[in-house]
Amino acid sequence: MTIVGSLKDVVRARQPRISALPEMAAAVLILDEDRKVEYVNASAEKLFMPVDPIGCTLSALFASCGATGGDEVFVAVDTSAEPAPMRLRLSDDRLLDCTLRSLSSGGFVVSMDDVTTYVRNAELAERDALTGLANRKALRDRLVERLASAARTGDATAVLYVDLDRFKAVNDTLGHPLGDALLRKVAERFKSALRDGDVVARIGGDEFAVIQSNAPQPAAATALATRLVDLISRAYAIDGHMLHIGASVGVAIAPDDGYEPDVLLKNADLALYRAKAEGRGCHRFFEPGMDERMQARRSMEIDLRRALALKQLELVYQPQFDLASSDIIGFEALIRWHHPTRGLVPPEEFIPFAEEIGVISAIGEWVLRTACKQAAAWPKPVAIAVNLSALQFRGGKLAETVISALAQSQLPVQRLELEITEGALLNNTDDVLNVLNRLRELGVAVSMDDFGTGYSSLGYLQKFSFNKIKIDQCFIRDIDTHADRQAILRAVTSLAVALRMKTIAEGVETEAELACIRAAGCDEVQGYLTGRPMPGGAVMALLEPACSAENF
Amino acid sequence: MPDDLYRLVYYSRNTITGDATALAAAITSILAKSQVNNQRVGVTGALMFNSGCFAQVLEGSRSAVEDVFERIQQDDRHGDVSLLAFDPAPARAFENWSMGFVGASIDDAARYGALVQDSGFDPARMTGESLFETLRKLAIEEEYAAA
Repeated sequence: MTIVGSLKDVVRARQPRISALPEMAAAVLILDEDRKVEYVNASAEKLFMPVDPIGCTLSALFASCGATGGDEVFVAVDTSAEPAPMRLRLSDDRLLDCTLRSLSSGGFVVSMDDVTTYVRNAELAERDALTGLANRKALRDRLVERLASAARTGDATAVLYVDLDRFKAVNDTLGHPLGDALLRKVAERFKSALRDGDVVARIGGDEFAVIQSNAPQPAAATALATRLVDLISRAYAIDGHMLHIGASVGVAIAPDDGYEPDVLLKNADLALYRAKAEGRGCHRFFEPGMDERMQARRSMEIDLRRALALKQLELVYQPQFDLASSDIIGFEALIRWHHPTRGLVPPEEFIPFAEEIGVISAIGEWVLRTACKQAAAWPKPVAIAVNLSALQFRGGKLAETVISALAQSQLPVQRLELEITEGALLNNTDDVLNVLNRLRELGVAVSMDDFGTGYSSLGYLQKFSFNKIKIDQCFIRDIDTHADRQAILRAVTSLAVALRMKTIAEGVETEAELACIRAAGCDEVQGYLTGRPMPGGAVMALLEPACSAENF
Repeated sequence: MPDDLYRLVYYSRNTITGDATALAAAITSILAKSQVNNQRVGVTGALMFNSGCFAQVLEGSRSAVEDVFERIQQDDRHGDVSLLAFDPAPARAFENWSMGFVGASIDDAARYGALVQDSGFDPARMTGESLFETLRKLAIEEEYAAA
């Protein structure tokens, strides 16, 4: 039985209102044929206090509470439409759902439900509690609406995915309360960059997204992405700290990049991934093909993470010779990845990737331990050179790992040589130098690898006294026909002599090249001409006393 | 403590487009607005415009300085903002300036920006401390000149 049904009976009976009505939680008003209030129950009376509603029109009554729409409530009955609740917002921010029906006996009944709590809770469910921005669910809901309306008008809709760069470092070093304060400021900066109608949401710890509609694309998305990168990268002053973070942005635009909400969101995420891969602090647009490349990367990542456990990695060793005596003085350990379907994956393809996905430390440690163990079993005490990635210096465990590898393998410390590139010295130089000095004190030799490429800052040669400089093969290739390369090589070797460092030329492939590097005064040589990388077993054979007499 | 006295020094690149008149108008408006806002929250300091750069010192309670700086950061009339210093300060250096404009008159700054650049003064190459000292000295000179 409905309220209205029971009211019909009441009115028909022309009795004083029955006892249940005054006590109902919902506010109920009965209007006469002139649309003036004839009766209010206790809830309604309380609602409009101190105004006495009797004799008022709904418009006057609503106005007294700061709401408008008294006449619109009648629209349904006046047009014989199905009655639908109308939401009133009172000046004290209470929300009332107001339904009006005509009574068969003449007049109208109005019921008003206080839906404030219900609506607030629903709003809260759509908000990110920390920043007050929309949450992921609300973002998607808004996107569904925008795309539906854009589909009718033919307008473009852009989705921008924004990731904060270096936020985690701030959060980890300065604590969550500061990280939270930073996120709130970032949210404010988002709001300051957006136009009315744009939607910004926080969709993860340090991930935000923006929906931009009714704007000329891609110009508007380009402008907004550029602005956001600039704005978010500006310094923050919070709780007495100066904080610096950055932002990377991925953009996908409907309908070109997809018109399904989830496809568009995924494509914006793919574009963001590209922005991050290309150095962060920039924006990238989605391009067809990103998805396939992403799938390919994912599958490569899965394979690479398993490679160690599946024993697909192998070390081969390339001999290094003393140019004066032609004796083998050591081997450089080189990694090989044999994959059942990919075949032999070159290190220049998977090592940078291993660095990117964070498995380089595990691989680097395996290389170090394996090389030490195998070299310890060699019949001659020649050196074993192991490459270190710059990333292995992070985490502060490198020296311990080296000590442990030496102890476990029983390899004499003087036989171990670590090769680093100047990339290792680019960041946190002091920390890296501390580790290098510690290793040096243990008796480990340290070489500067790939010398001559990259920045080739001579400052690094001053900061740390390397045992050896490995001259990159790009200077050795065809050196016999390139006077400039010969000049560079001579300069480097005389520099090394002055600094009391040895030099080794890499990538020697012809006799003519060998003659040149000998003439330039290099100490050592490594290359296809003097010896290709070989499996551990071949090293054993090569180092057997019977074989070692014949070198090159 | 949020109410401790802090000093903040930054410089940024001007992104206001237009001729000297437009620039002068923009700077006048920035100054007027910041003077009103700063007075309300007890922030003092100085703004210098030079070589296409803004250099500014803000001093006041930590929370007020942070709020004012955040508003400045969201302003798109400048870019490449470098925050040079943000530290506790023993006392205010710009006690009487809700936001002083120092170094040159607005018109001169706009008109002679290029000349100043040629003379080698470049806030971008200064540390927070030296930029602060420069602004402080210029402010004192300005006060003398006005007296």
